[in-house]
Amino acid sequence: MAVEYAMLHDISKCTGCRACMVACKQWKDLPADPTPFVGEFQSHPDLSPTTLNLIRMTETIDEQGNFRWDFLKFQCMHCGDPACAKACPEEALIKKDNGVVSFIEENCVGCGYCAQNCPFGVPKIDKERNKSTKCNLCEDRIEHGMVPACAKTCTANAILWGPREEMVAIAKKRVEELKKKYPHAQLYGVDKSDGVGGTTMMYVLTDKPSVFGLPDNPKVPVSLTIWKDIAQPGGKLLLGATTMAVIGALVSNTILNRGKKEAQEEGGSNHE
Amino acid sequence: MAMKWIMRAKEKGAIIIHVDPRFTRTSKVADIFAQIRPGTDIAFLNSIINYILENKLYDEEFVKTHTNAAYLVNQDFSFDDGLFSGYNEETHKYDNSSWSYQLDSNGKPLKTDSLDHPDTVFSHLKKFFKRYTFEVAANISGIPVEKIKLIADTLVNNRPGTILYALGMTQHTVGVQNIRSFGVLQLLLGNVGKPGSGINALRGEPNVQGATDFAVLFNYAPGYLNWPNSTQTSLDVWAESNGTFRKKFFVNLLKAWFGDHATPENDFGYGWLPKMDKRKNYSIFRIFETAIEGKMKFLYVMGQNPAVTSPNLNVVYEALSSLEMLVVADLFQTETACFWEKPGVDPAKINTEVIFLPAASFLEKEGTLSNSGRLVQWRYTGIKPVGQAKSDLEMHDLIFRKIRELYKDSTDPKDEPIKKIIWDYPAEQKEMAEAVLKEINGYDLKTGKLLTGIGALRDDGTTSAGNWLYAGVFTEEGNHSKRRDNQNDPGGMGIYPGFAWSWPGNMKILYNRASCDANGKPFDENLKIVWWDEKQGKWTGYDTPDVPNAADGPDTPNGQKPFRMTGEGIGRLMANTYKDPDPNHANLPRDSSATPADGPLPEFYEPVESPTENILHPNVPINPCLIYPRLETKQPIGTKEDFPYVLCTSSIAEHWCAGSVTRNIPWLNELVKETYIEMPEKLAKKLNVKNGDRVVVSSARGEVEVKAMVTKRLQTLKINGEEVIVVWMPYNWGYKGLSQAASTNLLTIDAGDPNTWIQETKACLVNVRKA
Repeated sequence: MAVEYAMLHDISKCTGCRACMVACKQWKDLPADPTPFVGEFQSHPDLSPTTLNLIRMTETIDEQGNFRWDFLKFQCMHCGDPACAKACPEEALIKKDNGVVSFIEENCVGCGYCAQNCPFGVPKIDKERNKSTKCNLCEDRIEHGMVPACAKTCTANAILWGPREEMVAIAKKRVEELKKKYPHAQLYGVDKSDGVGGTTMMYVLTDKPSVFGLPDNPKVPVSLTIWKDIAQPGGKLLLGATTMAVIGALVSNTILNRGKKEAQEEGGSNHE
Repeated sequence: MAMKWIMRAKEKGAIIIHVDPRFTRTSKVADIFAQIRPGTDIAFLNSIINYILENKLYDEEFVKTHTNAAYLVNQDFSFDDGLFSGYNEETHKYDNSSWSYQLDSNGKPLKTDSLDHPDTVFSHLKKFFKRYTFEVAANISGIPVEKIKLIADTLVNNRPGTILYALGMTQHTVGVQNIRSFGVLQLLLGNVGKPGSGINALRGEPNVQGATDFAVLFNYAPGYLNWPNSTQTSLDVWAESNGTFRKKFFVNLLKAWFGDHATPENDFGYGWLPKMDKRKNYSIFRIFETAIEGKMKFLYVMGQNPAVTSPNLNVVYEALSSLEMLVVADLFQTETACFWEKPGVDPAKINTEVIFLPAASFLEKEGTLSNSGRLVQWRYTGIKPVGQAKSDLEMHDLIFRKIRELYKDSTDPKDEPIKKIIWDYPAEQKEMAEAVLKEINGYDLKTGKLLTGIGALRDDGTTSAGNWLYAGVFTEEGNHSKRRDNQNDPGGMGIYPGFAWSWPGNMKILYNRASCDANGKPFDENLKIVWWDEKQGKWTGYDTPDVPNAADGPDTPNGQKPFRMTGEGIGRLMANTYKDPDPNHANLPRDSSATPADGPLPEFYEPVESPTENILHPNVPINPCLIYPRLETKQPIGTKEDFPYVLCTSSIAEHWCAGSVTRNIPWLNELVKETYIEMPEKLAKKLNVKNGDRVVVSSARGEVEVKAMVTKRLQTLKINGEEVIVVWMPYNWGYKGLSQAASTNLLTIDAGDPNTWIQETKACLVNVRKA
């Protein structure tokens, strides 16, 4: 079995320089996404088909009354049990042993189910090309033993990449250190028994996830589990993949809407 | 990139203190943050110095061994009500003859064993800084007393500590004295010359260190040699105020420039150099003002975009329009090159002829880059220049060869230097860059071999060096700036002597002799970097020892000169005019270091435009050596009645200086899109302004319309009992390039520090209203 990797963003170390955003676009040859300036330090309101990695910035006053400015590297979480892959009727999204939720663009029909069901609100549909988009952890780099572009360029050593076990050990140590200053410091995505099966994109957080716009308890929508794990395998055998996709589209409209609602109730879309 | 190393230090347990007018991304990772009113650094720092002096928290052994604390000051020296002795109200200048030591019959400074003698530098220090209590500093700077004390205790209890600074400290009318406060503080704490100590200027551009090393400053020749003025009619007259030590370097420079034409008989061609008029100021401000006065016809601008970066931009635009010809070499058509396209201007009414030279980028040319650590690194060509673009070197070569051709038949004596200068670089780019570096390094002219280092320089014309500081960068062993050994680090102190090359003599830590006691033994065994080796009879260590002569031990005068560029060889807690006599030249001093024009100790003065009075001396509110306005009608000074808010300006991480390059990179433009103003919530509420609303910012000099960023990162300050509001704007924009927005420098003031003429872009007064 391949080594399982993970990426770790230690938000206590992040300086918000955003070199990772530029490195991401440079490696993937993505164009700029010029959103209007609305008086925010954060560059874009959300991810987009051409912005797969975003430093989210939050100004808050903590429980002790201290001002805090936090930066969170936001992109595909690469869930252990990815809702997007479950929702995808075309097997365009596949969880790999190395931890990556891989995206096979030629399989994608742009249906948008992945986007609707992601508990983190990550995938964005490129309407011109009718394809989904999201971070793939620079699969083309890691397959050649290189680290993802964002981790490679990070000036503050805030983005680390390596075997998951090593990353978990580093993360646990950091949280213990940080607890002295931040009583709510915690890991995020490390626990594989959470609602999304843990994530390959892990965080060292200095406070509760919701402070940084992450769902406190992310979950794969229940309806999706029924759809993908029970209904779809049987359906495909009977009718063949293409037909199933069409029927799937009809059937899942109900599921989809419910899924979206569930995700929202669980705090999944609260990432502005 | 500096943050990369700061974060590494933090990982190893360093405590980060950040003092800034606003909470920035640096503050976010700092352990202690203090919000300071722009332009009040001296009050803040001096209160820490006072706390250290009053409570005897200084490093007594270091202070006694390595500073001038025990030297006796001239009894005519005084400081009263904001003025040092020797002030001339008419000229705004000091006669600094009283800023000297008491001397013995041999011209050597007198010193005592007791720091408490009333005439010692140390006693003057205690008296001078006594006025700076934490309360006074808090009233002036807005930093609460408890926080100043916390910072002071943190500095005292965590030694060695290092200070990193950039333009936030220098772009003031007290820029040099700001750094003098750092100097006093670090010398008192013993924080100089040791690993992890020092005062480190983080230079604003990748090669700005190299630029200043090579005299891209109006008052220097390469290697920080003062450019001669018209009263200095010979090299010896020049040496009267600059010393024989530097005269040797000047001779080598002249030999590099004029070769065999430079002889002892013709004063090595010194007479061929154009001389500055001692009464005039040749800074960038006077360049533009002289153009407006009609006395400058032609300007050649390269590597700079003053139509964005200079303060009080209206003066710059008027100056450019007054020229007969302007040549601009740049990567892109900048605002300076296209000043005639400024919105609202009729190009038909501008008579300046503009020539644009497309320049190669750093990826397209060969040569060295000197970083903030004086590390000289060779850079290779990545790709060939695009289109007709040429490297600076190639441009200069082509232009000068053409000039020389035009003057070849001239018999006019003033054209002599053009005919006599040695100019024989190979045409091939790669070879050209190395040929220049060899000339900089210098040659033994008898053997034709490259010099091994500064020690090989002679004052008799038998050696040459284009920049004495760089002697040793390119020896017969090869081009050391190309070395890339990042494995070998003897001592584990991060020295890596085989990685590129640092001036002087591949030294990484300047003044490292000060890391040892009087006997040459390291103060701290765990932080040892150089030491006196009794057995070998020489100074040695992991770094190049910073001593005049490695064989001169601690029992010799040379063995006690950790700050060998000052005449007395030790650190000046209080600046001094002292020049040490040269035993070999009856009438000439050996060495002479700079003395600040505006005082031997750092005194606090308000910025030219200030929201409050100077509580230390209301009669001398601003730097008394300042001459401003220089052009009565174009340099108005705003008052707090009309312009109640303090504006601080700076660059932003995503854009670089004028943005001439970065504003043409879409990936950076999407991160920070346009000029804006950061304001505290309190001001936003008062003006009824929300995030993204348009506001008009005005100063006595101009106005701009930008969007607002309302933030908790700026808080109102309590200054002398009144509330003061500080706002901040980035200055990186103009009307050319892919990202276009208002130029903040239409607002800023072009008053300059009397030593360096750097502008006060960190503090001026503005008004803000909803658009």
